[in-house]
Amino acid sequence: MRPRTLWTVVVGAVPWAIACGSSVPPPHDQWAEAEANLGRAQMAGAPDVPMAKLHMRLAQEDLQKAKELMDQDNKRAASLSALANSEAQLALSLAKAASSQDEARKAEFELQYPNTSTK
Amino acid sequence: MNPSCYTAIVVATVLAGAAACSGQRMPPKALVDARADYFRAKDGPAMNLDPTQLHEAEVALDRAERAWQDSPSDPTTVDVAMIADRKALLAEAEAAALQAQREVARARAQIEANKTSELKTAKGALNKTQQALGQTQMQLQDQERQTATLEANLKEARDTIAKIASVKDDERGMIITLPGEVLYKTGSWELKPGAMAKLDQIAQVLKDKEQPIVVYGFTDSVGTRDNNMSLSQRRAAAVRDYLVSRGVPQDLVTAQGKGPDDPVADNGSVEGRAQNRRVELVVQPKQR
Repeated sequence: MRPRTLWTVVVGAVPWAIACGSSVPPPHDQWAEAEANLGRAQMAGAPDVPMAKLHMRLAQEDLQKAKELMDQDNKRAASLSALANSEAQLALSLAKAASSQDEARKAEFELQYPNTSTK
Repeated sequence: MNPSCYTAIVVATVLAGAAACSGQRMPPKALVDARADYFRAKDGPAMNLDPTQLHEAEVALDRAERAWQDSPSDPTTVDVAMIADRKALLAEAEAAALQAQREVARARAQIEANKTSELKTAKGALNKTQQALGQTQMQLQDQERQTATLEANLKEARDTIAKIASVKDDERGMIITLPGEVLYKTGSWELKPGAMAKLDQIAQVLKDKEQPIVVYGFTDSVGTRDNNMSLSQRRAAAVRDYLVSRGVPQDLVTAQGKGPDDPVADNGSVEGRAQNRRVELVVQPKQR
């Protein structure tokens, strides 16, 4: 193969390689799902539960990074969106657990001291 | 390069490669945390309370292990390990929530049971009180009936006696007044036959009443006081004895002579003296 022909092949392959590298589509749906779960955690009172609040914060940071990487590194953006989703779900569960445990404490108090209001 | 030197380089290269392949690379902290958190969750209540969530954590951990094996330097490998860690923590949180909800349900059920028990006890006490109240009301009604019967009997007795003697009421009880002329001959305490007939009727009415009776004898002011006192005492005793002989309980009848004391009319006139010569039967209220 002559050098000129080789150069033509190499130059032609670069766009193809780039196209193959960015074949992962931007993870808009995953990002939106994580954001929705973050909203649910917020509504469930996660900001009032320290550990839940921490994971909400981590989810927000992951979402921000994913947003910045969108269309540049979609694979990592998808991975960070999935991680943000897990953080948000964990924040939601921690908030619910705290709420249930608080309710259990009140019920136990009401059982032990039936004539005392816990409100 | 001599052959021995060449051989040493090849051996070193092979050993380095073998060391790398033998897993001497340190796993990322996220994967170490994920493993620890998963096994802690597996040993905790999540195993029984939320096995589905725990299974998801296990699947996520497997994925993280594979990613670490296949692409240890890929940035997403750490993401996958962190996801596995969060899944394990989530399984624990869900189990904690379920456990708390069960405790709430148990406490609420016990509170309801306690309330039901207290209500049952209160109802029992209320029933007893109502029964006692019912009995008291029945006793009250019985007493009211007895009182009504007693009053009716007294009225009947009074009406009967009023036909043969003067009857009035004061704070001492029912006062039956019999004129002395009707009962005795002048200066005597012996009862006239007509007096006995009247006393028979009075005894018939009073003998079952269980009411104390005091028979008072009175005279006018003619004569000495001693004689009048003696005469009035004997006259009262004669009436008492007659009533007892006709069935009035002896322990309920007493006699007392009062002579000229407590006159009801002027002793200066014949009519007044006649009114003062009398016997009074004081029928006292029944002693309870």
